[in-house]
Amino acid sequence: MGRAPSTPLRMVGTVFVTCVLSATALAFTYEATRERIAAQERIAEQQALSAVLATGERFERLEDEILVSAEDYAGKTPITGIWRAYDARGDLSGFALRTSPRGYGGPVHMIIGLDRDGKVAGVNIVQHRETPGLGTKIITEQWFAEQFVGWNPADLSTYLDDYDTITGATKSADAVRDGIVTAIQVYDGVLRGLRDDGGGDL
Amino acid sequence: MNEWIGVFKRGLSLDNPLVVLMIGLCPTLAVSTKLDGTFFLALSVLFVLTTSSVLISLLRSAIPELVRIPVFIVVIASFVTIVDLSLQAYLPDIYRFLGVWIPLIVVNCIILGRAEAFAYHNPPRLALADGLGMGLGFAGAILLLAAVRELIGSGQIVFLETTLIELPQWYRAPGVVMLFPGAFIVFGFIIAAISAINRRLYSRTTHPVPACTITEGGDVR
Repeated sequence: MGRAPSTPLRMVGTVFVTCVLSATALAFTYEATRERIAAQERIAEQQALSAVLATGERFERLEDEILVSAEDYAGKTPITGIWRAYDARGDLSGFALRTSPRGYGGPVHMIIGLDRDGKVAGVNIVQHRETPGLGTKIITEQWFAEQFVGWNPADLSTYLDDYDTITGATKSADAVRDGIVTAIQVYDGVLRGLRDDGGGDL
Repeated sequence: MNEWIGVFKRGLSLDNPLVVLMIGLCPTLAVSTKLDGTFFLALSVLFVLTTSSVLISLLRSAIPELVRIPVFIVVIASFVTIVDLSLQAYLPDIYRFLGVWIPLIVVNCIILGRAEAFAYHNPPRLALADGLGMGLGFAGAILLLAAVRELIGSGQIVFLETTLIELPQWYRAPGVVMLFPGAFIVFGFIIAAISAINRRLYSRTTHPVPACTITEGGDVR
């Protein structure tokens, strides 16, 4: 059976046609799965939000303008979502922030729960690309994320002077710390003032 | 037809990618701590291997020799992305467990190796046999490894939240089985067992163990 000759035109043509066909196939797959993937992510998001703020019953996503003003306080750490949480009685119980500080292998997506007064109530690392066995210690070493629970805006600098990092996973650990600090700073700058408006009207 | 069955059987036994050729070990050792996650990895590999082998075999006369590897990789990567998106949509928990190992199927040298060594030189009919045989051979070996590791290492086998087997309470699971050293040890026993079976089954046939057809080097990752 004859093989196509390796002339420049044939080579470029074959690779080009393959890529076009591949892109078409992937576009259809993407369209077919997009809604389901988004739905799955929403479910995961709800679970992640309840995990960081146990008192939150209902989470309401804040408007984009608040997100933009939050970014002024966040420095270079992106904030991708802020939720206001209401407890079972409909009172404001705190806030949750989704932030993605830069780790060693890329952004470390995490959700941080803050109570009414800006005290850290829970930390949940939802997605990351840290090195397995080293960077992943930010999750497997449970004490690490748990030590941030209770940090509050007033004593932030004291806490920063005295906390434990993870040997061999410095960049990953720093990312988690950056996320916490960012959340607290955003609370201080923006969220504190939002505590009372719009709350309670279920 | 005999030729078809011959090619198909080679992937299962004498050319088994895992226990004989020993390629594609990286995902095998890393993932085989849980039977259900491993099952879907094996299924994904089987799907990608079979579809890409058949497609490459169909296109083989149109692919110029010098650009064959890029074309193979684009074809394989497309099928892997289809698997990736589907798992993400329908089995999010499994997707989270397998993590990076799904995209890494692209560089799994079983698949690239079969494309290069077999599918590019044989008609689609045989490429299908080769893909199915190699894929099922991979699945069989990795599932055996995962079942043994999960049972010994955690004392039970759980498949999609259904407990299949549970060892009695007094059993203390040795944690090392779940780590890489344990993976190597268990895998070593499996290789020994399969080689013994292969030797008994094939020692008296007229054609001895066929030469290894893989030309690629070790695992890419």
